[in-house]
Amino acid sequence: MLYLNSEQGFPGPAPAQPGLPAQPAPPAVTEPTPVGDNLAPQTTTLLRDAWRRLLRNRSAVAGMIVVGLLILVAVFAPLIAPHDPLAQDFDSRILPPSAGHLLGTDDLGRDILSRIIYGSRVSLAAGILSTALAVAAGVLIGAFATYYGGFWDNLAMRMMDIMLAFPQILLAIAIVAILGPGLTNAMLAIGIISIPIYARVVRSSILSLREKEFIEAARALGASDLQIIFKHLLPNCMGPLIVQATLGIATAIIEAASLSFLGLGAQPPTPEWGAMLNGGRHLLRQAPWVTAFPGIAIVVLVMGVNLFGDGLRDALDPRLKQ
Amino acid sequence: MSKRRILLVSLLVIALVAGMAAMGQAAPKSGGTLVFGRQGDAVSLDPANVTDGESLRVTRQVYDALLDYSEKDTSLRPALATSWENSADGKTWTFKLRKNVKFHDGTPFNAEAVKFNFDRWRDKNNPYHQGEFEYWVGMFGGFPGVVKSVDVVDEYTVQFTLERPVAPFLANLAMSPFAIASPAAIKKYGQEYGNHPVGTGPFKFVKWDRGDKIVLEANKEYWDGKPYLEKLIFRTIPENSARLMELQSGSIDLIDGVNPDDVALAKADKNLQVYLRPSFNVGYLAMNMDKKPFDNPKVRQAVAMAINKAGIVKAFYAGLAEPAKNPMPPSLWGYNAKVKDWAYDPAKAKKLLAEAGFPNGFETTLWAMPVARPYMPQPQKIAEAIQSDLAKIGIKAAITSYDWGMYLDKTSNGEHDMALLGWTGDNGDPDNFLYVLLDKDNAVKPNANNISFYRNEQVHKLLIEAQTISDVKKRTALYEKAQEIIHNDAPMVTLVHSTPPLAGRKYVKGFIPHPTQSESFATVWLDK
Repeated sequence: MLYLNSEQGFPGPAPAQPGLPAQPAPPAVTEPTPVGDNLAPQTTTLLRDAWRRLLRNRSAVAGMIVVGLLILVAVFAPLIAPHDPLAQDFDSRILPPSAGHLLGTDDLGRDILSRIIYGSRVSLAAGILSTALAVAAGVLIGAFATYYGGFWDNLAMRMMDIMLAFPQILLAIAIVAILGPGLTNAMLAIGIISIPIYARVVRSSILSLREKEFIEAARALGASDLQIIFKHLLPNCMGPLIVQATLGIATAIIEAASLSFLGLGAQPPTPEWGAMLNGGRHLLRQAPWVTAFPGIAIVVLVMGVNLFGDGLRDALDPRLKQ
Repeated sequence: MSKRRILLVSLLVIALVAGMAAMGQAAPKSGGTLVFGRQGDAVSLDPANVTDGESLRVTRQVYDALLDYSEKDTSLRPALATSWENSADGKTWTFKLRKNVKFHDGTPFNAEAVKFNFDRWRDKNNPYHQGEFEYWVGMFGGFPGVVKSVDVVDEYTVQFTLERPVAPFLANLAMSPFAIASPAAIKKYGQEYGNHPVGTGPFKFVKWDRGDKIVLEANKEYWDGKPYLEKLIFRTIPENSARLMELQSGSIDLIDGVNPDDVALAKADKNLQVYLRPSFNVGYLAMNMDKKPFDNPKVRQAVAMAINKAGIVKAFYAGLAEPAKNPMPPSLWGYNAKVKDWAYDPAKAKKLLAEAGFPNGFETTLWAMPVARPYMPQPQKIAEAIQSDLAKIGIKAAITSYDWGMYLDKTSNGEHDMALLGWTGDNGDPDNFLYVLLDKDNAVKPNANNISFYRNEQVHKLLIEAQTISDVKKRTALYEKAQEIIHNDAPMVTLVHSTPPLAGRKYVKGFIPHPTQSESFATVWLDK
């Protein structure tokens, strides 16, 4: 576990040893300075360390490049796309890839490349926004419940357990069924079903942190609960949270595409990769490119995010520090 | 006319059989199971209470009506009634019934049974009048509608007294929804009858796994001779291409709903044969006139002009269809060929919309069927095409869909703004299209067939008058006039008349696609 904003004053030795609840006070706390002082240089070093490790990891760099490129594509879609992604042309239905339509056309005569380019906006937005929602809600639930412990902790965690007992996608389908199909509702559903993951990540960090001396010190200095949670506890959970969220974006993208594939997410004519897969399904035998390219797009993006996320985990893991 | 026709039919049959024997063709073989793959599951197996082809396709096998259509078209032949007579004033019909016919539950078929069924359908206060009985309303104009009374003359004679002469009366009686069900079974099952169908037909009901399959078995005591097939299974496979794939792999024997794009694929397979069902339908976009802004004729006309009909037909039917300008197919008498279709003209449509007070268009919903229908093999795609056409004149339509049963319920209840739907003719009479789809009698929630909720008094008068007289020439004139008015009012955008393709394994014999979309499997056999 990593303390980015290390108020203990040093990053090691391994602080959270499971099974060893009461540790002796770290001897290094010698300076009586108020919390928050003299931290900047150390944080930067840590980050720089992590960054260096990340850059050494080739697959992580590859993932970063893929994601970066796709973000550029999404941002500059109108400049890049050769055609209007919504323009139908019945005279050029189901054309195989050619110079005019690099990835061919679908059965409404729409240019698949343009649709994929615009679709990257939908997929990235769905992945990032739904994860942001899940992180925000999960962190709050996890932090408060754990900090106050007891009944609240029990209540929140049992609710999280109940949510985790459902297969995620099934729960998402149920939520969308209640809210009504649509991209916003699909993102909301994906956000909701991912909450328990983040709540648990935060909980496991805080459980070990809240008994630490620097928290006691903060309390002794008269910090309020809110201050302790937001200033001292949460910043120290960031490492695992960032890793989890990055990987969560990949899952969210797949889930959004799945919901759209089932007709519950993006509604026509929105170009969305999952919906495109579904739209070309009946042409699988005559025109495999209609489904193949959106499928490849999903794979590439999700793989990119995953590689990046894995690399990030390795980079932020102090045990791998050389 | 009837006796002569019977004679003619029998002679034809004899000639046909003799001819086949002379050619040395293999005699039909008995036995085997035929699995039929189709788009959607049945809604109910009580034929009087459904309107969808998938239910009637099955009930057609379990029940008989008083009359039946010939194998290839909608000319009539005797079924449970052997002969019939009309009184001079056209208001009284007397039917002689077939003797020694038993329902599948063993109870006898007789005049009482016929009366029981008709009273159940037409009398709102009948204790067994459970359901909507949409087809009764559609064809006979309400409860009790034109049928004043049904009387038992003797055990095998039944008499109908009508309010007024009804020209398509016999043709109506031959329709699958008016098949005779076992009174004992209806009394026994009550509300649940739709799950326990009991008729006199060539196949008996065995079981129904909802959403999956319906299993029927041969009725060995069928009055018209035992059917060749031992078992008949209707399987639901919603995806057109998946269904074709199953057919190719051999797990099913016959399918309806081949994607027009897939016809070439099926034709190339040497194990398969492709059938074309005679074109007898219309696919349309209904605009709910009970809802704003579709109460405004200019809005409806604008929509009609905004849709690139020719493009849709070309793109989604692979040449197996023609654009529709009337709500009935051109192969049917009474079709008004002089009607000039709304030309595709987005600019003019936009102007019209502005005149109607919507210069920037409006937002609405466009409902699309969840399943492929014979008149619309890819409703979702067609909806997307229409959505794009409408967007060009500023109408933002969100595509909405429900499962098939719910879709029909909700549209019948007028919950939609615009909805795709279609109609396959049942009885070869223009009445079955125009009166059912566009008369005010059928715009009554919650069981409307007229889901445009178009209520035009003049059209109503014309259609009722056309029902009353039997002179085909005069009726043609009335129907032509009605089509003209309907065209100008544009309650629906008539999109397409399709020629639905089917496919089957080569060993399936004796299957003749019927224009009405429900064919008897009594004469189908397997050559394997």
